[in-house]
Amino acid sequence: MSNYLKPILYFIPLLLIQLVVVPLISVFGTVPNVIFIMVIYYLLLGGQIYGMILGFLAGFFFDLFSGGVLGASMLSMTIASFIAGYFYNENRVDTNTASYFFLVILFIAEFINSLIYSFAGNFNPEVRFTSLLLEGALLPAIYTTIFGLGVVAFKMRKGKI
Amino acid sequence: MIKIFQRLGYQFKEYVLLVILVIVSLISISLSEKPQAKKLKALAIANFAVLSEITESVASIFSGDVSVEELKLENAKISLQLSKLKKVAAENEELRAMINMRDTSSSPLIPVRIVSKLITKIQGNFIVNRGSGSGLVKGMPVINHQGLVGLIMDVAEEYSVVRTLQNSSLNIAVTLQRSNVDGILSFDGRDLVIKNIPTTYDVKIGDRIETSDFSSLFPPSVPVGVVLKKETNELGLLHSLTVKPFADIEATNNLFVIGIVPSKQVNHLEMNLLKKP
Repeated sequence: MSNYLKPILYFIPLLLIQLVVVPLISVFGTVPNVIFIMVIYYLLLGGQIYGMILGFLAGFFFDLFSGGVLGASMLSMTIASFIAGYFYNENRVDTNTASYFFLVILFIAEFINSLIYSFAGNFNPEVRFTSLLLEGALLPAIYTTIFGLGVVAFKMRKGKI
Repeated sequence: MIKIFQRLGYQFKEYVLLVILVIVSLISISLSEKPQAKKLKALAIANFAVLSEITESVASIFSGDVSVEELKLENAKISLQLSKLKKVAAENEELRAMINMRDTSSSPLIPVRIVSKLITKIQGNFIVNRGSGSGLVKGMPVINHQGLVGLIMDVAEEYSVVRTLQNSSLNIAVTLQRSNVDGILSFDGRDLVIKNIPTTYDVKIGDRIETSDFSSLFPPSVPVGVVLKKETNELGLLHSLTVKPFADIEATNNLFVIGIVPSKQVNHLEMNLLKKP
């Protein structure tokens, strides 16, 4: 199957994991974003435009199925994918996805994604900016990056075989 | 001219696409509270929640003890009654007349199970396994065996969306049980806070907080939490209270919807307050 269509196949299982299983391992109200790990991974395989469209669609369906503010994830994943797209290099696909550089890209992208999501979904002006920045963006980025280690480890092992 | 635009569009196609997608996203955000968008979400949730429920039942295979759920239901009922009794004991003769008001301890409790959770620092939402088919209506309060958890915000036939206390869009009229000081409880992204309480009011750390008689969004005397911290503003005129909720919102799995249908007119007014400014 084409790499471009694989994310569609993985999306529903990952969405179920994100909304049902991942809350079981939340730490101080922070959860990793497994859907966004998939978006970034396939972005680094398929390029910036492909990643933006993928982020937009993943965000749309995430908003729709999670009961959150419709459009918040669409906006955040689109912009974060756009920025992460600058790391795409068709000559360095393996280096980008099967090395620790993937984690750096994932951390930056998830930080931007969480930050924009927090602002887009917040209608209360009294919410603290520091809270949005640290607990709304930094902690999810760290937690997601830790989960991204699994992808890197898998890819590295696959490369050796 | 058209060729120039075409060339520019091709040259900057990433930016053009970004602008289009961002505009679509912003339009979606602005329309997210419209009835059409809510219908679309309800339809999507109703279909997706079936899968969530199956996954959830597999995930919670080791915690499916019915007797525990029955005990939790009993506990929730007793919790409401206890809260009511404590208040009655503390009130004077004038307030005793309020016993004739709506009695939350005798309200029907509809047990529901969480099938999926959206955990973020801003939008705390649960999807539960009952909807309008089980008599759930938008605006009904949701508790667990410890205290208040949130409010029903969207209802599909078989499933509902619960907006939790950890959602920055939810503001609740509360009262301090001991001193009858009223305030508005909201989530600031980190803690539940009650702002702008005059320093002259009698507030102590550990004071019990419950829903206020003034709220028709929630029935009175539902336990919410305790005062954890008291901070005074720079001028020394107002307190900001940090509240620790009784309910462990992130860890909870079984909830109860209080089957109260609030006054339609008042409910309409209060639900309007929940909408974005």
